[in-house]
Amino acid sequence: MTGYIQGRNVGLTFRPPNRAPVRALGGFDIEVEEGEFLSIVGPSGCGKSTFLSILLGLIHPDSGEVLMHGRRISGPGSDRAMVFQEFGLLPWRTVQHNIELGLELKKVPKEKRRAAAARLVSLVGLTGFEAHYPHELSGGMKQRVGLARALATDPEVLLMDEPFAALDAQTRDLMQVELLRIWREAKKTVLFVTHQIDEAIYLSDRVMVMSKRPGRAKRIFAIKLPRPREYEMRVTPEFNDLKLEIWNTLKDEIAA
Amino acid sequence: MAETQTLQTPVVAARDRAEESDAPARSLWRRMEPWAFGLGSIVVLLLVWQFLPSFVPMKAGTKLFFTVPSHIAGTLWRMFATGSVWAPLGVSATAFAIGLGLAIAAGLPLGILLGRSTVLNAMFDPFITAFNATPRLVFLPLLMLWFGIGLWSKVAIVFLGALFPLLINTYEGVRNSDKLLINVVRSFGANEWDIARLVVLPNSLPFIIVGLRLAIGRAILGVVVAEFFGAQDGLGVIMVRAASGFRVDVVFAGLIIFAGLSLLMTGLVQLLEKRMSRWRPDHANAG
Repeated sequence: MTGYIQGRNVGLTFRPPNRAPVRALGGFDIEVEEGEFLSIVGPSGCGKSTFLSILLGLIHPDSGEVLMHGRRISGPGSDRAMVFQEFGLLPWRTVQHNIELGLELKKVPKEKRRAAAARLVSLVGLTGFEAHYPHELSGGMKQRVGLARALATDPEVLLMDEPFAALDAQTRDLMQVELLRIWREAKKTVLFVTHQIDEAIYLSDRVMVMSKRPGRAKRIFAIKLPRPREYEMRVTPEFNDLKLEIWNTLKDEIAA
Repeated sequence: MAETQTLQTPVVAARDRAEESDAPARSLWRRMEPWAFGLGSIVVLLLVWQFLPSFVPMKAGTKLFFTVPSHIAGTLWRMFATGSVWAPLGVSATAFAIGLGLAIAAGLPLGILLGRSTVLNAMFDPFITAFNATPRLVFLPLLMLWFGIGLWSKVAIVFLGALFPLLINTYEGVRNSDKLLINVVRSFGANEWDIARLVVLPNSLPFIIVGLRLAIGRAILGVVVAEFFGAQDGLGVIMVRAASGFRVDVVFAGLIIFAGLSLLMTGLVQLLEKRMSRWRPDHANAG
């Protein structure tokens, strides 16, 4: 009866020194199915990134629980990997060695690491850039490295925290198309946090709209648009109806 | 607007062309200029010094405290030619190397530990602040009492001098570590040792290099002062003995050797820094 990933009544309050405590999440419920692409949109500071960090195992909620396969998440594990908004590449490592990071920490032998990295380099379209350092890459290429690094340990769940927010509009569109292709090939469950309604609809099976802080799930939209999705889908009436509906749900939560 | 532009364009173009035509000559001079002035001023200074006795009459008593560059060069040459310099230089270098080595071996891990642990930092901070505020040379009499006047009192004073710049700079570097990168490696299951190895250490490297430069200066100072005050052997001892025998040329020779060592070590650190900074944008083409 337990789902794949379950968050029940999750609450977390940050207590920064010398400042008022901030209740980021409160009474947050979520259920994720295996293999689905779920996006979370919500106003700034609603705790959506916080939830990803909890799911990743970097921070712990102070109420409620988050379960995967029915087991409480108590720390990082190789069944989950994150793609970070600011890429988080180690600047002193080449593309190849950045991708190998997770495998290195799992004590995977060098030849195996190299083979896995080579496969991922070609999956994310970075062939020829293996020996480059991050500062020599464009934003889009950096995030391809971030994606490859997250996929390297072959996690079941990919957590993506506004991964394309630092990219320009065209690169972002291209990366969305690429992400869908990679998702189809790699067959992962994806939790995708974003501010962009377009992006959420285009990519997802379901879109969750969160309330303002302390964040709760306000409403979930099932996106029944057919797959594989083409870029042109974004200008269809069905797409725009969804966009309007989600916007109407979201706008009350945004304090201007 | 359009008018101003058409008026200005030819002028700008002409200036660009002019700059292009004598660019090679100019850039060569621009590159050589600091060198030329630097070298020139040294040569002038040496010449004035060398020929000063010819212009300024000196009493015999004054001459006792004076020497000229050619004399110093001759003495240096003899010290190396006869090999008499190697034994004392070896003694000083050994104290320097052991003291600095121990300081690196202790300062780096300790700096990382204190930077990563708030509890340890709170415990050790009073001692470090107090020690660092005290000139380390005041410990010399105590250290000589404890370690004798041989190698180990010198090693101890070098260690104390070099430890704190390394420790404090490493600590600062660790404190400035990128939180995002730490979270990234943690998310892949890194433990505290992995975090130190993969993120904290490379991230603090620029700070550590600065600390190393300071530490080398302090280490050389430690060797010299220890040897001035009470030692049986070493380059500093040679200098003190020469001074009491009015061998100003030998004192200068010792001074030049210490200065040379200092420059050599600084150069080595720079080389190390360049090698380890190959991933940096501004070093991309240098390595």
